[in-house]
Amino acid sequence: MPSMSGNGFEMATELIEDAPCGIAVTDPDGRLRYVNATLAHWLGLPPEGDPTRATLASLFTGPGRIFYDTHMAPMMRLQGFVREISCTLEVQGGTPLPVMLSGVARRNADGVCTRFDYTVFDARERRSYEEALRSAKREADELAAIVSSSPNAILRVDATGRVRSWNTGATRLLGRSAEQVLGQPVAEAIKFQDRPDWFAREARALLDEAEVAFEARHASARDFEVTLAPIGERGQPGASADWSVILRDVTRRKRAERRLQVIFDEMRHRMKNTLGVVAGIARQTLPAGNAEQFVSRLQALSSAHDALGQSEGDTGTEAGAEIGALLDFSCQAAGGPARFKVNGPRVRLSARQATSMSMALHELVTNALKYGALSCEQGQVRVDYALEGAGETGPLRLRWREIGGPPVTPPTRRGFGTKMIGLVLQAELGAEVRFEFAPEGFRFEVAFTAG
Amino acid sequence: MTAIERNNVSVDGPEGARPMVFVHGFGCDRSMWRDVAPAFAQTHRVITFDLTGMGGSDLSAYEPRRYADLQTHADDLLEILEELSLRDVCITGHSIGASIALLAANRAPDRVSQLVMVSPSPAFLDDTGAGYRGGFAREEIEGLVGLLEENHLGWSMQMAPTLTGQPGEAPSTETLTQSFCRTDPEIAGHFGRVTFFSDRRADFEHAACPVLILHCSDDALVPMDVAEWMRTHVPGATLEVLDATGHCPHMTVPGEVVETMRTHLGTG
Repeated sequence: MPSMSGNGFEMATELIEDAPCGIAVTDPDGRLRYVNATLAHWLGLPPEGDPTRATLASLFTGPGRIFYDTHMAPMMRLQGFVREISCTLEVQGGTPLPVMLSGVARRNADGVCTRFDYTVFDARERRSYEEALRSAKREADELAAIVSSSPNAILRVDATGRVRSWNTGATRLLGRSAEQVLGQPVAEAIKFQDRPDWFAREARALLDEAEVAFEARHASARDFEVTLAPIGERGQPGASADWSVILRDVTRRKRAERRLQVIFDEMRHRMKNTLGVVAGIARQTLPAGNAEQFVSRLQALSSAHDALGQSEGDTGTEAGAEIGALLDFSCQAAGGPARFKVNGPRVRLSARQATSMSMALHELVTNALKYGALSCEQGQVRVDYALEGAGETGPLRLRWREIGGPPVTPPTRRGFGTKMIGLVLQAELGAEVRFEFAPEGFRFEVAFTAG
Repeated sequence: MTAIERNNVSVDGPEGARPMVFVHGFGCDRSMWRDVAPAFAQTHRVITFDLTGMGGSDLSAYEPRRYADLQTHADDLLEILEELSLRDVCITGHSIGASIALLAANRAPDRVSQLVMVSPSPAFLDDTGAGYRGGFAREEIEGLVGLLEENHLGWSMQMAPTLTGQPGEAPSTETLTQSFCRTDPEIAGHFGRVTFFSDRRADFEHAACPVLILHCSDDALVPMDVAEWMRTHVPGATLEVLDATGHCPHMTVPGEVVETMRTHLGTG
C-alpha cells in the first residue's frame, strides 16, 4: 500500500464523506453520532441535521423501524455484526429508497460496546431484480405444486427419450420410483402392449402439431391416455428439445366402453334374430306375393341396421351411418354399378336418418325394378347428392333420376311405396320431398339437414 | 418429546431456590437474556428456553395453525413448569414474551406468583375507536412481514462471511455466520404476524398476579401512551420507566434492568 502523502487525512475525510455508499455511526443504543454526506443527501436531511431523526431506526420506514428493534439491534449486541440487511430509507420529500445495510460493533479493550458502524448501499436495481426473482419463484412453486400433486403421471423426457423428471403421480400410477427410472429410456420405463419404441415413433409423427395423444395399454393391463408435447419454443439455438409426457389412467373408461360394445353387439344380434322370426311368420301367414314384398321391406330395414352397426366399430363416433353405405346396398339390389350410378361426397347420417333413408331407397329401387328404368335392360338410375350452401354446411339434397326406361305415366292412385317414402322422410325427418312423373323417366328429390 | 427438549430449556442456579423463568420476544431467542439471567443464578433457579419455532427449539413442532394463538406458546411454557415441577414462579418476559408470560400466569395462578414485563405492549396496532394508540398501522405490520421475507439472515447461508475490520477477536467462522436471531423465514413471518396483530388488552386487564413493568423512555416500538395505559389498566402493576433508548433494555442497559428487578423482587 502506498504511503499517504501529506494530505492523506484530507483524502480519507473526503473518502468517508463522499464515499459511493452511505456511512453512519451510532451509540450502542442506536443514537446517531455521524452520518456522511452521501447518506444525508440520500435522506434529504437538512445540513444542520434533523432532531426528529436522531436514531438509526428513525432513518427507516415503519417496517424497518420494527425490524431494527426486533432483529438488528439484538444481532449487533449478540454477534457483533449484521450483514446485507435489506430495508428502506424514509426520504424527506421523496420516494423511499431501498438499501442494503451492513454493520459492525466496535468494542473497547474491556470488550464493552462503544459504537456501531454501518455502511449503506443503494439497492434499487437489486431490489427490483430480487422482487422479479421472488415472484418468478412463487409462480414456479405454484406450478411445481400442481405437478407434484397431480394424480396423473407427468414426466420430462429429453430429446433422446430419456426420463429427466418423474412426479409422484407417475410413481403412484406405474409403481416405480423416480430413482428407478431417471436416465432410463422412457419407452423402457413405461412399456405399452404392441407399442415398442413408442416415444420415438410418436415424437417423430408429431411434426408441427402442438401435441400428440393416443391411448395405449400398459404392460400392467391398465389403459392410459398419453399426451406428448414439446416443452418450450423449438428452433431456438440452444433451446430445450425436451418433451412433456402425461399419462392419464383411463382403465375404467375403457372397461366401460368395452362393456358397452358387448351389450351393443348382443342387442344387434337379437334384433336381427327377431326380424328373421318376423319374416318367417309373415311367410307362413300372408299370401305368397304379399309375403315376398313384406319380407324384402323387412330386409331393407335389417340392412339399414347393419349399416349402423358397421359404423359402430369406429369408437368415439355416435351411432349413425355414411349415406354411401346405404346407397351401396341399393346398388347391389339394383344390379350393380353399371345400372346404378352414384355421385356424392361423404355425408354422415344420424341413426334415425339412416333407417328412414334406407327404407325409402328400398322402395325406390323396388319401384324402379318393377315399373321403372330398371325393368328394362338399358335403363339406369342416377343418384346425385351434395351438401348445399357455402362451405357445405347447408342441407343434404339427393336427386334420383331414372333414364332409358319405359315411358312413364303418372299413377292414378298413390301406391304404398310413395306413401311410405312420404311417411318416413317427411314425417320422421321433416324432409322436403318431391316426386316427378316425367314421361322420359321418374324423378325424385329429397332435402334435409344431415347429421 | 418432552417440553424440555422441544423448547431447548436450560436450567441454572441452586436447586430449590425460587424459580425465575425468562421468555424471549419476537426476533431472537433465549440468548437475548445473556446479560440479565446469569445475574440471578446466585439467588434463583434460573430457567431460559426458546419459544417453539425459534432458536434451538424443535422447529417441526411449529404448526402455524396452532401457534396462530399466543395461548399455545403460553401452554408450552406451562408444560415446562409442570415438567420441572416449579411453583411460586416469577416469569420475566420481553415484549411479546411478556404477553405469553401473562397468559401463562392467568391460566395457572397456582404456579405463577409474579411477573416482570420488559418493554411489553398489550397491542401494537392503533385502535382509534377505543382511543388506544399502539403505535403502528396495519400497513406497517404488513411491510414488516415483507421485510422478513427479504431478510433470511443467513438462514440458508452456509458460506463464511468476508467481514473485515475486526482483527484480534477472530471468532470461528461458524459464529461469524449470522447465527443469532436467525429463524426459518416462514416461521419468522408467521410469528411476526401473530405478534404484531395480537391484541391482549383484555388479558392485561385481568392480570392474576403482581406485575412489574419496565419501559424505556425512548422506545420506537412501544409509545409512552401504551405504558400509561398499562399503569392504569393492569391491576397490581408497577411501572418503572428506564432512561434508555430502544426496545431491548435487557441488552442495552442490563445493569439497570437487573437492579430494578432486584429492588422490586426484594432480593437486592
